[in-house]
Amino acid sequence: MSGGGPPRKRNFKIEEFKNRVELNPKYAERTWKVLEHAIHEIYNHNASGLSFEELYRSAYNMVLHKYGEKLYGGLESTMTRRLKEISRSIEVAQGGLFLEELNTKWMDHNKALQMIRDILMYMDRTYVPSSSRTPVHELGLNLWRDHIIHSPMIHSRLLDTLLDLIHKERMGEVINRGLMRSITKMLMDLGPAVYQDDFEKPFLEVSASFYSGESQEFIQCCDCGNYLKKSERRLNEEMDRVSHYLDAGSEAKITSVVEKEMIANHMHRLVHMENSGLVNMLIDDKYDDLARMYNLFRRVTDGLLTIRNLMTSYLRETGKQLVTDPEKLKDPVEFVQRLLNEKDKHDKIINVAFGNDKTFQNALNSSFEYFINLNNRSPEFISLYVDDKLRKGLKGATEEDVEVILDKVMMLFRYLQEKDVFEKYYKQHLAKRLLSGKTVSDDAERSMIVKLKTECGYQFTSKLEGMFTDMKTSQDTMQDFYAKKSEELGDGPTLDVHILTTGSWPTQPCPPCNLPPEILTICDKFRSYYLGTHSGRRLTWQTNMGTADIKATFGKGQKHELNVSTYQMCVLMLFNSTDGLTYKDIEQYTKIPASDLKRCLQSLACVKGKNVLRKEPMSKDISEDDTFYFNDKFTSKLVKVKIGTVVAQKESEPEKQETRQRVEEDRKPQIEAAIVRIMKSRRVLDHNSIVAEVTKQLQARFLPNPVVIKKRIESLIEREFLERDKTDRKLYTYLA
Amino acid sequence: MRRSSKKSSSSSAAAATAGPTRGVSKEIERIDQLFCTYADSSSSVIDPEGIEMLCSHLEVPHTDVRILMLAWKMGCEKQGYFTLDEWRTGLKALRADSISKLKKAFPELVQEVTRPSNFQDFYPYAFRYCLTEDKKKCIEIPVACELLNLVLGLQFHPQVDKLINYLKYQNEYKVINMDQWMGFLRFCNEINFPSLDNYDSDLAWPLILDNFVEWLREK
Repeated sequence: MSGGGPPRKRNFKIEEFKNRVELNPKYAERTWKVLEHAIHEIYNHNASGLSFEELYRSAYNMVLHKYGEKLYGGLESTMTRRLKEISRSIEVAQGGLFLEELNTKWMDHNKALQMIRDILMYMDRTYVPSSSRTPVHELGLNLWRDHIIHSPMIHSRLLDTLLDLIHKERMGEVINRGLMRSITKMLMDLGPAVYQDDFEKPFLEVSASFYSGESQEFIQCCDCGNYLKKSERRLNEEMDRVSHYLDAGSEAKITSVVEKEMIANHMHRLVHMENSGLVNMLIDDKYDDLARMYNLFRRVTDGLLTIRNLMTSYLRETGKQLVTDPEKLKDPVEFVQRLLNEKDKHDKIINVAFGNDKTFQNALNSSFEYFINLNNRSPEFISLYVDDKLRKGLKGATEEDVEVILDKVMMLFRYLQEKDVFEKYYKQHLAKRLLSGKTVSDDAERSMIVKLKTECGYQFTSKLEGMFTDMKTSQDTMQDFYAKKSEELGDGPTLDVHILTTGSWPTQPCPPCNLPPEILTICDKFRSYYLGTHSGRRLTWQTNMGTADIKATFGKGQKHELNVSTYQMCVLMLFNSTDGLTYKDIEQYTKIPASDLKRCLQSLACVKGKNVLRKEPMSKDISEDDTFYFNDKFTSKLVKVKIGTVVAQKESEPEKQETRQRVEEDRKPQIEAAIVRIMKSRRVLDHNSIVAEVTKQLQARFLPNPVVIKKRIESLIEREFLERDKTDRKLYTYLA
Repeated sequence: MRRSSKKSSSSSAAAATAGPTRGVSKEIERIDQLFCTYADSSSSVIDPEGIEMLCSHLEVPHTDVRILMLAWKMGCEKQGYFTLDEWRTGLKALRADSISKLKKAFPELVQEVTRPSNFQDFYPYAFRYCLTEDKKKCIEIPVACELLNLVLGLQFHPQVDKLINYLKYQNEYKVINMDQWMGFLRFCNEINFPSLDNYDSDLAWPLILDNFVEWLREK
C-alpha cells in the first residue's frame, strides 16, 4: 500500500472542493463497500495494493457523517463471515497440521486485525467509546474466540490435541514446543478466562489422573529412594514445561497437582516403607535420599511433620533400648560413647540433609532428653565418662580436641533432669582424681568446671573449685612444712598431706585406724605444725583415702617399690615384725573396719601379679579364719608395682542406694527453701501453683516429685511456716 | 430459777476456793457439793478415778463420747481431770446441779455439740484433749483411730470405718497431727462416699488422705 505521492508542483490556485461532502446514504453505502473490500483484501494478503490514507479518510467520513454504526456493524459482520470460512479451513486440516493451520491463521488474523484497527482508528477513538462498543482489536479477538476456538468442531479437538501432545511428551516423545507456546499464548491473549477454562482446568485434571496412576505404579515397584527420585524428576519436568510453553501462572497449580498426587497421597507409605523408608535412610546415613525427601516433603502440608514425627519415635525407641539393655550398660564409658556417637550421627544428618532445620534439632533434643532420663544411672555414667577422659582418654590431645569432647559431654549433661545427682558423682570422681594425682591435664579439669559454671551457675561449682584450691594450698603448706622442719624430720618417711576443707569434699566419716609408729610420729609433727599456724581448726586423718609408696625386699633380694593404699600400708608394715598373722590379729592391730579390711587383704593376697601376701587357705574370698604370710616368693617384672589404686568405678547396688538416698535427703531442704521463697513473695497461693512454681525454680537441678513437694508443705505447716487458708481450702498462706 | 437461800456451804473444799460468799445460789452450792463427792480431797480436782465413779453414777461408760462432750462444755484442759472452775462452768451451762439433772441434760448436750457451728469447735478440741504432754503436737495412730470412732463414728460410719482400716494398715505415718485431723473432718463433710468422685488430689488435701483415697480406689 502506498501513501499519496509527492505533491506535484502547480500554479498556486485555490480550487473548489473537488469532492462534495454529501449526506447521501448512497454515499455511505459506497464508502462502506470500499472498506469492506479492503478488509477482504487484507485477509487475502493483498494489502499492498491498498491506500491507507484513502481508507482512513473513508472511515473517518463515515463516522463524521454519523454512519459509525453502519461501519461498526459492517466490520463485525464481515469479520464474522471471514472467520467462519477460516474456521472451516482449520477444521479440515488433518492430524498434526491442525495445530499448525490454527496457528498460521491466528498469526494472519492478528496481522489483519492490526491493519484494520489502524484504518478504523478514528472510529475506535470516537464512535466506539461514545456508543460503548467493544474496541476493534478486542472485537477481533472476541470474534476469533467465539467463531474459531469455541466452534464445536474446533473446541474439543484443540483441547484434545494439546493434552495429547503433553501426554506424549510426558511419556518421553519430543514435541514441537514452539508451536505449543504459540497456541497457549494465543489462548492467554484471548483472555485469562479462555486460557483457564479451555485449557488449564482440563489440563490440571488430566495431569492429576496421570500422576495418580503413575504414582500408584511406582509405589508398587520402587523403593522409597527411587520413588522420590522419580517424583523429583517429574516435578522438575513440569516446571520445565511451564517455562517453555505454558503461562507462568500455571506453575504453582501444576506443581501442587504433582505434589499432591505423588507425595501427599503416599506420604505415610513412603516414610514407613520397609527396608527403604525413613528409618533405613537414617540408619544408613543416606544423605542424598534424606535431602531429597526433605525438599519434596516440605512442599506439602504436614510433610515435614510426618518426617519429624517418625524420626522422633524412632529415636526414642532406639534410645530407650540403648539405655535399658543390660549388656550395653556394663561399661559406662562405652555406654556414654555410644550416646555421643548417636548424637553426632543425627546432628550430621540434620546438618547435611535437613538444612539445619531448627524444628528437627528440637525433635532430636527432646528425644534425647526423653530416653537419657529413662535410666536413672545416666548422671553417674556421664560423670564416669568424663572421669575416664580426664584420667587418660584425653592424654596427648590438643586443646581444641579437649574442648570439642567436653562440649559434647555438656550437651548430654544438658539433657539430664537430675543434675544434682550428676554433681554428687562428679564430686566423688573428681576427689579421687585429685587425690590420686591421676588427672591428665589441669587445664582440661578447669575447662570442665567453667563449662559447668556457665551452664548451672556459681553455686553448682563453688565446692568443686574449693577442691582445687585445697590442692594448691596443700602444696604450699607442704613446702613450708619441709622448709621449716627439715632438720627435725631427718631421715623419716616423707609425708605428703592434702588438707581438705570439710563440706567441699565428699568425705565419709572415717573411723581412725592404727598407723604404723613411724608414720604416726611424722603425722603428729605435721599436726602440731599445722595447728600452730591455724589455731581453732580441727584436723582428722582420712585414712581411707590415702596412698603410700613402700620399698619392699623379697626372698631372693628383689627390691620392689609398692604403691598401696594407706590401709594396705598399715597391714603390710605389720609383717616387718612377723611373718604370719591371722585375720583377727590384723584386725586387732590395725583397727581397720571389716569390709574395708577384707577388700584390702583381697587385693594384697588374691590378685595375680600383686600377691605380696600369701593366704591360707588359698581360696578366693577372705574369711575371718584365714592366715596371712609375707610372700617372699613374690615376683614381678616391674620394679614399681601398683596395688590398689583408688579408681572411680561404677557403684555397686548398695552404694548406689546410699547415694540415691543422700540425694533425696539433700533435695528436701532445697524444696522447702523454694516453697518458703515462693510463699514469702506471693503470700497466698493454691496448691497446684505452688507445685508448678517449685518445679520451675528447681528444674535446673532436678525434677521434684509432686508428692514430695506436698509432704514438704505439710512439714512446713506442722512447723508453722505455712497454714491452710481458713476460708478457701485450696489455698495456703504464708506465716511471717 | 432458784431463789437464793441463806444456806451456807459446809464443804471444806468449797471454802478453800475463793468463791462468792453472799448471794451464792443454791444451785452453785449444790454444784460444788456434787464436785466434792467426786473430787480427790488432797488435790481438789476430780481425778480419773473420780470420773469413773461419776460415769457409773451417770450410767454412761467412761469412754462414751458424751463424757468428752461434757469435758468440752466444761472447757477442760487436762485429760482425765476436772477442776472446780471447769466443773462449775459446765454444770452451770447445763443447768444441772444433781446427777439426775446432769443425766437428763445429756441429750440436749449431744444435740448442741453436733450442731455444725459447735462441732467445728468440738472436733479440734477432742484432738487437743488427747495430747498427753504439753509439747506434743501429735497423737498416735491407735489413739487417733479410737478418737475418730468416738467423735465421727455415728455421723459418718462408713467413712470412719474405712479410714480406721487404712490408718491401721499403712505404716508411713506413725502419728497424726492437727492438720491431718482437721482434714479428716473436711473429708467426711465434703467428699461423696463411697464414690469419691469429687475428690481432687491436686487440691490441698493432706497427703495421708491422698494415699487413703488411692488405697480405696485400688480395692
